[in-house]
Amino acid sequence: MAIGTHILDLLASRIVFVTGKGGTGKTTLSVALARLAASRGRRVVLAEVDNHRPSIPEYFGVPTGWEPVQVAANLAITNITWLEALADWLGTVVPATRIVKMILSNRMVRLFLDVTPGSREIVILARVLALARTHDLVVVDLPASGHAISLFLVPYRALLVFLTGPIRKIATEIVETLRSAGTQVVLVALPEEMVVNETVQTWHALQDLAPELRPGIVFLNQGLEPTLSEGERVLLGRLATRVDLSPLRPDPGDAIGAAEWVLAGLWEADREETTVSARRRIERETGAHAVTVPLLAAGEGHGHLAREVEAVLKGLLEESA
Amino acid sequence: MNLEDLVREKRLVVCVGSGGVGKTSVAAAIGLHAARAGRRVLVLTIDPARRLADAMGLAAQGNDERVVPVANAAPGGELRALMLDTRSTFDDLIRRVSPDEETRERILNNAIYQIISDSFGSSQAYMSTEKLYDVWTTGAPTGRYDLVVLDTPPVKNALDFLDSPGRMTRFLDRHILKWFLRPYDEKKVFGKMLAGTSGVVFRLLGVVFGREFLTDLSAFFLAFRGLYDGFRERHEAVLDLFGASQTSFLVVCAPHEPSQEVADFFVEEFQRRNLSYGGIVVNMVHRASGTPLAVGPYLADLSGPLSRDLSAEVVPQLLAHLERAHERLRTVARAEAQVIRRLGALGLEGRVWVEVPRLPEPIRDLAGLDRLNRHLFPGPPDA
Repeated sequence: MAIGTHILDLLASRIVFVTGKGGTGKTTLSVALARLAASRGRRVVLAEVDNHRPSIPEYFGVPTGWEPVQVAANLAITNITWLEALADWLGTVVPATRIVKMILSNRMVRLFLDVTPGSREIVILARVLALARTHDLVVVDLPASGHAISLFLVPYRALLVFLTGPIRKIATEIVETLRSAGTQVVLVALPEEMVVNETVQTWHALQDLAPELRPGIVFLNQGLEPTLSEGERVLLGRLATRVDLSPLRPDPGDAIGAAEWVLAGLWEADREETTVSARRRIERETGAHAVTVPLLAAGEGHGHLAREVEAVLKGLLEESA
Repeated sequence: MNLEDLVREKRLVVCVGSGGVGKTSVAAAIGLHAARAGRRVLVLTIDPARRLADAMGLAAQGNDERVVPVANAAPGGELRALMLDTRSTFDDLIRRVSPDEETRERILNNAIYQIISDSFGSSQAYMSTEKLYDVWTTGAPTGRYDLVVLDTPPVKNALDFLDSPGRMTRFLDRHILKWFLRPYDEKKVFGKMLAGTSGVVFRLLGVVFGREFLTDLSAFFLAFRGLYDGFRERHEAVLDLFGASQTSFLVVCAPHEPSQEVADFFVEEFQRRNLSYGGIVVNMVHRASGTPLAVGPYLADLSGPLSRDLSAEVVPQLLAHLERAHERLRTVARAEAQVIRRLGALGLEGRVWVEVPRLPEPIRDLAGLDRLNRHLFPGPPDA
């Protein structure tokens, strides 16, 4: 299947979870995907999960909260904070608001729920399901991959522990949603050894958890596809031995500038090599397509970067159209 | 203060920061440097790149210390490395803190324990502070190590790591236990127990969670009851260690915004918690001149004799490439300089500040750590 078809598939789904190792650009990719889907007429909500310092607002210049905030045509953003998610879900189980308040105002219950592993995950996923009922597409910018796996694991575990009752009901609903074709997980990686290791591990952990959760696309962010010819590589290698590249012993005159050019070239050559090997390794060791998102100049603000990534994705769609 | 002084004066250096910024390499390089200077050092690491792990003798994962052969170490100098294996440690931990076999089996076989061990066991931040406790209580007082360097797992925010020592204690809080165990306390009359607000809340929890779950949970808490003191002791020991004057936290970051935000958050928390904040290592900095450089003719001359066996268009093609690459490098360096300026504002007087340029080759062995150390410890060699 062509890459463009995969991206179309993603844009046509109901819930897209985006995860990957820390620092890979998950949020930028989530914003780009959400914007692209919104521009194609789907009503999208872009959510991050219980973030002490929400990062999505930096892309739009608008603060987020529990209630989705409209930031563009067809596009809203939200932060799924766990205490609100808990109250929201309890409200569906115990219809009287007064009683929900009473339960939640009990110090012991709050303390217990706060530290009990699993309670966060269930109510946060319950909120994602609720958002999917009022929007065409929910794009969820998840925390780093380790946390993402425990997030998905909890509802499966809950089915083993809760044999009856409302938690079993919601856990069942969550598991069914995770298994449905409308739910997709995408991974974001960088062309670096450690990141690729973790990406491959995460892909397999997801596949082991439920084959339906295995990601079909890995975005290889900040990659460089090769442009240097073989001859250029050879010459660059030779130049690197003739120019003193040691920043500790700068040579006078032109040699300093020459070192900068050669270093810049070496970095890009290395990036090209690691991009190709990362892409091949991901495709060989997982069943996912690796899509290179080129190295873009940062520094002009978050929003700018996300728009550039969006343009890249759009380009991929047009290529295969 | 420079990093040299900090590493000489402290007994525990905790490297913190976001993921992908080279924390593991920095921690290993600090350990190597201190060992060369004659100290007995342990580097406690999480997940090093495979080749670096091989170089440090950590090829097989396991929770035991390996001696790393260090050439040219001063007398007495020794480097050991330990890689945290998060898969098995949580069960080990339960085995260690259980007073007897019966308690241990009751916990390990409890269904609720499964959820809990997944959650705590997958928390590398929590497990690394547990491991630090083990290493410190068994190694430090006996004088086995002069210095422990802790490489922490990547976190999205400072709280994930700094709050991790207390996670289990908060979960096992005496008050929570007591409250949940009340209906099951044989000494109390059941009917009287469920009177009042607590009774109503408890009944509602029964509706939400299901009665069987509450029964399972109480069984679990009953089994865990005796373990509270053990966990609290560990938690308090780690907090004491974090706050000790012999400890220093070193922020490792890369010059991009997400990493800077994590650094900001850590520094804020260090101040709030009165923890000793050693300074910042800004790793992987791209450097470039502020203006374009006209070095085309110079490199063309240099390339002449180097390209006789290559086709004629290679030289101009490569030079055009290098010029573009340098232009991109300048853009990146400009953006990074802004982030570095903001990092420099984080209360650094008297603290460590090191900028490490992005090295042309990845760090794969001890020689790579040595290359890194030329930037971390730039002073003239002692010898």
